[in-house]
Amino acid sequence: MKASLMTHMVAGYPDYETSLETARALAAGGASYLEIQFPFSDPSADGPAIQAACTEALAAGFRVEDGWRLVETIRKECPAVPVFLMSYASIVVTKGVEGFAARARQAGVSGLIIPDLAPGADEGLYEAGKKHGLAVVPVIVPSVPSGRLEAILALKPEWVYTAIRAGITGTHTTLTPELKAFLANLNARTKVLAGFGIDSAQQVRDLRDSAHTVVVGSALVRIVAEAFQKGGKALVGREVEAKVRELVG
Amino acid sequence: MPVKPVYNDFFGPFGGRYVAEVLRAPLDELEAAFKSAMADPAFLDELALVQKEYIGRPTPMLHARNASKILGGAQIYVKLEGLANTGAHKINNAVGQILLARRMGKKRIIAETGAGQHGVATAAVCAKFGFPCTVYMGEVDIARQRPNVYLMELYGAQVVSVKSGSRTLKDAVNEALRDWAGSFADTHYLLGSALGPSPFPDMVREFQAVIGREVVEQTRGLDVAAMIACVGGGSNSIGFFEPFIDAKTPRLIGVEAGGRGPGLGENAVRMGGDARPGVVQGYKSYFLLDDDGQVQDTHSVSAGLDYAGIGPQLAYLGQTGRVEFASALDTEVIDAVKFFARNEGVVFALESAHAGAVAIKLAPTLPKDKALVINMSGRGDKDIFISAKIITPEPWIGFLRREVETYDAGKK
Ligand SMILES: Cc1ncc(COP(=O)(O)O)c(C=O)c1O
Repeated sequence: MKASLMTHMVAGYPDYETSLETARALAAGGASYLEIQFPFSDPSADGPAIQAACTEALAAGFRVEDGWRLVETIRKECPAVPVFLMSYASIVVTKGVEGFAARARQAGVSGLIIPDLAPGADEGLYEAGKKHGLAVVPVIVPSVPSGRLEAILALKPEWVYTAIRAGITGTHTTLTPELKAFLANLNARTKVLAGFGIDSAQQVRDLRDSAHTVVVGSALVRIVAEAFQKGGKALVGREVEAKVRELVG
Repeated sequence: MPVKPVYNDFFGPFGGRYVAEVLRAPLDELEAAFKSAMADPAFLDELALVQKEYIGRPTPMLHARNASKILGGAQIYVKLEGLANTGAHKINNAVGQILLARRMGKKRIIAETGAGQHGVATAAVCAKFGFPCTVYMGEVDIARQRPNVYLMELYGAQVVSVKSGSRTLKDAVNEALRDWAGSFADTHYLLGSALGPSPFPDMVREFQAVIGREVVEQTRGLDVAAMIACVGGGSNSIGFFEPFIDAKTPRLIGVEAGGRGPGLGENAVRMGGDARPGVVQGYKSYFLLDDDGQVQDTHSVSAGLDYAGIGPQLAYLGQTGRVEFASALDTEVIDAVKFFARNEGVVFALESAHAGAVAIKLAPTLPKDKALVINMSGRGDKDIFISAKIITPEPWIGFLRREVETYDAGKK
C-alpha cells in the first residue's frame, strides 16, 4: 500500500508559473493532499527553507489574489487531490476571517491550517470554518498538556496536524516509539496529519501506520529551490514528481 | 484602594496570545511565574536592590531651565533615564526578567535586538547574573550598529546575524521565537519591548513602571500639564505613563517616528498613520501592513523606533484617547538633539529626541507655571556613528578615514 502523503509547497515560489508547475508535479507524483502555503512576510513557525521561499515569493510580487488563482487552477486540473491552505493570522485577519474562509471554500480549499490562530485564540476562524464547510485544522505538538489536547478535540476537528518536533520545520526528525504511540492514540480519535522534519521515504514508511497522512514540507521546497537554479521550471516539475514518487513508495 | 492587576492579557480588543501551540506552554509557565514573583516581597526587594546598586536608580529629574526660558512657556523637566547603566531604560526590563528567569530555574537567555540597546542591556545582565546569552540581530542592523555589537560581545554574548526576511528587528523577533520553540525547557526569551504575546506586554510595563513611580515623587508640588515619551514598541512610554493612566491628568503624549514624512515605508507611525489593526508576532494591535496583511518596511533615523507594530496597551489607550499620539520628522529630531545639547548639556538618544522635538513645539503654547515632563529614555552616545555624520559630516568622515588608514598602516 502506498503511503498517504500531504505535500507542502509555497504559492508563488519561485514565481507563479513554477509554483503551478510544482503543484501539478506533486499531484502527478502521487500526493494524496496538497498543502499550499500563502507566503507571509514573517513566517515565525517555519524553518529556513520555507522562510526563504516565502521571502522570495513576496519579492517576486505574490499577492493573495494569485494564491486563489493557483488553488482554483490546480483544483480544476486535479479535482481528485484536495487542497489545504496554510498561512498565518495576519493574512487571514487582514482579509477578514469570515471573508477569507468563504473565499477559500469558493476556491475549492478543503481545509485551513493557520498555526497562530489556535483554538481559543482564533478570531472566529473555527466558527467561520463550520459555517462554510471548511475543515479548520489545529496544529499541536506531542508535548501538549492533556487538558489542552482534550479542549482541542472537544471542537471535533476532522483533522489534527501534529508538528512532531518541538521547534521549527526543516531539520531531520528522529521518530521515537513514544512519538509513534502518541500519534497512533490520537489517530484513533481524529485524522492525524504528521509532519515537521520528514525528508525520506524511510521516515514516511516508518510513520504511515501511526498517522492518517504524513506531511513533507521543507524537503520538497529545497528540491524546488535546487532544481529551479539548475534547470528552471521544467526541471522543477521533473524532480519534484520523482521525489514524491520515491516518498510514497 | 483596589490593587491594579499586574496581568491583563487583553487591553480592550488588543493584546492576547496568538501563538503556535508549541509556545503556549512556555507562555503559560511565564505568566504563572510572573504573577507569583510580583506578589513575592522577597523578589520585589531584590529587584529594588539591583535597581539601586546596578542600574543607578533613581535616575535624576532635570529642570531644564535654559530650554524653558528660551521656549518661553511651560517649565521643561527631563527624566534622565539615559543615565541608567548601559545608557537607556532597556536595562529596567532586562533586570526584571533576568531575576524572573533565575527564579524559574532557566539556564540560558535569548533576546532580539534592533538598534542593539536591548541587546546590550540583556548581554550586560547576563554577564552580571552568569547566564549564557544569545542575541538575534538582523544582518542589516549588525552592519549599521557595530558599536553595540562590540559591546554585546564584550559582555560575553553571542550575537547571531539574522539573514531572513528584511534582516531587521522583526526578523530577529521571528528567529528568537524559533529558537524558543525548541529550547524553552531551559531557556528564557527576554523580549525587549511592551509587545509580543501575553504576558510580555504586562510584564515589560511592570518592570518599566519604576520610571513613572519615580516621576510621581520627583514632580510633587509641580503642576504637570503633559508628559511626553517616544514610542517604538512602547516600553519606555508605558512605564513612564503607568502611574498616571487611570487618572484624567496630565496629558500623556506618545511620539512616533515621522521619518522622512508621510507614505508607507517612509516612517513608523502606527497610530493615525497608514497602520491597521492586525495580528502579528503573537499579539493584536496596530501594524503597518499592506492590504494582504504583509508587514511593511519602516523608516526612522532612530533604529529603536523603526518597527511596524505598537504595544497593545498603547494601541488601546490611543483608541480611548487617554494617550495622544504625535510624530516627529527625522529633521526635527536632529534639531532637538542639538537644542538640548547646546542649551542643557544633555545629549538625547535619537529615539528620545522625538519626545524632545514635540516638547519644543508644545512648551511655548503652555503657561509658565505649568510643567512638561519629557522622558529621555536614552542618552545619545550610542548614536554617534549616525548623528555625527549628519551634524558634522566632513570632520567625522575624515576621522573615520584616518582611523582606517592608521590601522592599515600599522598592519604593514
Ligand atoms: C533609547 C531608546 N528609547 C526608546 C526606544 C524604543 O523602544 P520602546 O518604545 O520600547 O521604549 C529604544 C529602543 O531601542 C531605545 O533604545
